[in-house]
Amino acid sequence: MILDDGSTILSSAIRLAAPLAFAACGEYLAERAGTMNISIEGMMITGAFTAIATSSATGSASLGLLIGAVAGLLVGLVHGNASHRLAVNTFVVGLTLNVLALGATSFFHESSELTGHQVTQVSIPVLRDIPLVGEPLFVQRWPVYLLIVFIPLTWYLVERTRWGLELRAVGENPQGADVTGIRVNVRRRQALLWCGLFSGLGGAHLAVGAVGSFNDNMTAGRGYLVIAAVIFGAWRLRGTMVGVAVFGFADALRLALPAVGLRLNSQLLIAAPYLLALAAMVAFVRRTRQPAALGKPFTRGIV
Amino acid sequence: MTQTPRLTDPAASAARAPAIELRGITKRYGQVVACDGVDLAVRRGEIHGLLGENGAGKSTLMKVLSGLVRPDGGLILRDGEPIDVADPHVAARMGVGMVHQHFSLIGALTVWENVILGDDSPAGRRRGGRLSRDAACAEVVRVGERYGIPVDPLATVDSLSAGERQRVEIIKCLRKDPDVLVLDEPTSVLSMAESRELFAVLRGAVTGGDEAKAVVLISHKLAEILAATDRVTVLRRGRVVARLDTRGTDAATLAREMVGREVSLGEEAAALGLTPVAPAADPPEGHPGGAPAAGAAPVLELDGVTLRSPTGATPLDGFTLSVRPGEIVGLYGVEGNGQSALGDVLAGLAVPDAGAVRVAGQAVDPRRPGALHAAGVGVIPEDRHRSGVVLDMSVADNLVMTDLGPVSGRLFVNRRRQRAHAAQLAERFAISCPSLDAPLRTLSGGNQQRVVLARELSAQPAVLVAAQPTRGLDVGAIEGMYAELRAAAAAGVAVLLVSTELEEVMALSHRIAVISAGRMVGELAPTEADAERLGLLVGGGAAGPPAPSAPSAPPPSSAAAAGSAR
Repeated sequence: MILDDGSTILSSAIRLAAPLAFAACGEYLAERAGTMNISIEGMMITGAFTAIATSSATGSASLGLLIGAVAGLLVGLVHGNASHRLAVNTFVVGLTLNVLALGATSFFHESSELTGHQVTQVSIPVLRDIPLVGEPLFVQRWPVYLLIVFIPLTWYLVERTRWGLELRAVGENPQGADVTGIRVNVRRRQALLWCGLFSGLGGAHLAVGAVGSFNDNMTAGRGYLVIAAVIFGAWRLRGTMVGVAVFGFADALRLALPAVGLRLNSQLLIAAPYLLALAAMVAFVRRTRQPAALGKPFTRGIV
Repeated sequence: MTQTPRLTDPAASAARAPAIELRGITKRYGQVVACDGVDLAVRRGEIHGLLGENGAGKSTLMKVLSGLVRPDGGLILRDGEPIDVADPHVAARMGVGMVHQHFSLIGALTVWENVILGDDSPAGRRRGGRLSRDAACAEVVRVGERYGIPVDPLATVDSLSAGERQRVEIIKCLRKDPDVLVLDEPTSVLSMAESRELFAVLRGAVTGGDEAKAVVLISHKLAEILAATDRVTVLRRGRVVARLDTRGTDAATLAREMVGREVSLGEEAAALGLTPVAPAADPPEGHPGGAPAAGAAPVLELDGVTLRSPTGATPLDGFTLSVRPGEIVGLYGVEGNGQSALGDVLAGLAVPDAGAVRVAGQAVDPRRPGALHAAGVGVIPEDRHRSGVVLDMSVADNLVMTDLGPVSGRLFVNRRRQRAHAAQLAERFAISCPSLDAPLRTLSGGNQQRVVLARELSAQPAVLVAAQPTRGLDVGAIEGMYAELRAAAAAGVAVLLVSTELEEVMALSHRIAVISAGRMVGELAPTEADAERLGLLVGGGAAGPPAPSAPSAPPPSSAAAAGSAR
């Protein structure tokens, strides 16, 4: 009985953490390049809606997943060009995009008939029978397993490639990177596009992977949770993923506790992941070292 | 340095086109002409000095050469061929390497990462964008050994001293094997020993027969130019005013060309980066010599002040110092040894983790904003644009910014009184501005600094902290600042002068204190201070009896000695 409950909670924790993990791959990389990407929330909800809309129109949830990622990329494109080429403050751009994405998706959701779709579930024989962890790890929607590739890929890109080195340089000291011959804002836009792609994928997975339908404001601040996870992880990918797991687990408890008969104030439960994020930030933010130029715009000549 | 044999045959190098030649380079920023038809030719095998006051256009010229700034007119020739330097990559491909003083290294990265950063050479591309740490480390070691500047490639740049960082800069540059090496004010963060070492490395780079490089050394310090270069080009207000052989010239000539008028090296030497002749033997007027009011109780006392940064560094480590009324204490040290942190503590911008700040015997609670100001501490901050003025507010507003008391009631600022107050200060401190309502941005650096000084002195402080007060000013403005600091001390203010300019400290101070790695490492009277002893202290040497150096051991290769001898 205990094992069954534990298995269920773990299972839903992974299910709920997966969308955050995709988006965290993106946000982590963007922040290492010095961009505090607030519009991640907008990217996620755009991805979620586009995924459902696409799969509703074509009948293919997997295609929805892909188009959702591309939609997130487009939001990143808008963000990057607005904040670099038009020189609008990146936080203003981000907040505007978030509000716009929330309103637009709700509007289109209201004015169209969408049918739910969900990607296929993978169930690996034998392994799924391992007690406690078998079902959570080996019975999931297939995009979850993409993380096995994408998380190491993100780490490799940032830590082991020339591009990643330049990204880190741009995030630490844009003036220095500039005189060395790195095109600072180009690198930052590339990081934003990567972030858009993965946040869109995260949102899409939430819709067509974890839930199977779209509802208004379905991301409900998950983008901000991802930002909190990056801070929680002290701008290291491993720590970020630990943060994602913690928040996913808190989310799963919210669903599971009433099911196992524990009665808690339901508002408090809904707020739990966010309260946890807040507590984590307060506890960890002072000891960590963020990229030195995080959130600081770069213009050549202004020192 | 000047004794090093020169291997290049002048006739041979004259026959070849200069390694790099600038013709008629012009660059305007709005109304300001930074460079006005500048010609400069640098040959292989020479160290070419580019001398000029702050704002003479030296840095702009070199930014043009390194592709960071596009000129409005003019031509760049490389071995006689015109080239178009569109960005830093083009400059690097053309064999022009630039050692930037301030903004090039990324502190959070390791040495090898910094060295290969931004490398778009085919060798870098061939690996398909993957980094090879071992290859990069091997290269750092190889270049370091060749030029005699070893560095640990795996160290994080943040953990290195200023001198070591400069080595990394130079390795980063030399690794691409440039024909032309440009160094912009390279010694500003170096101790004297480190500077000497640098000049020896440069001399090694230009003595290599056919492989000889051309080196451009940008500086505003006469002593350095005289000690380290072969030829010198002097810039003044964006124009070339002189081209000289270093051996055939002297400090007086260079000073005259640089400033544009006859200068007496005795009085103005400090402003030009020359050690004044026997500073304490004949104290100038307004400079009471010795220790004024030696018996008086100190007004400013810093007692074991410790400041830790969030990154774990300790910019101030038990720093202790006191300043008595009427005396100027010069705090000398190489940049980056805690001076900025001290300035922030005294301005109330940073709260020390341990230790006490006492003003007139009373401990000041540094957590209360404005407490230090209220206690009578005036600060001329090191970076006036960051914490001294608001550039987009008017001159009049900036003049009353720290203390609205005299010009306002409980709620409203009395504009008329404010203007009268501002006009009075502008006259007394000779602030020249188009109007008191003009934004401060429109004033020259010297006038902006006068605004800060006027405001701080108008509050009638007991203590005046002047952090790098002459940085970025021209000679006239520097002299004005010196006079004001002396006058303030004569009027009984305790003046703490924080400076990285040895000459400035020696010219002004009654007492010289030395800061190194956030600690007070020694204190000297100007009579016993000389470049050698201060250099020793700055490098972390003992504060005890001086090494048997000063009179003995003729230092032929000493940049500092070359300066002070004149």
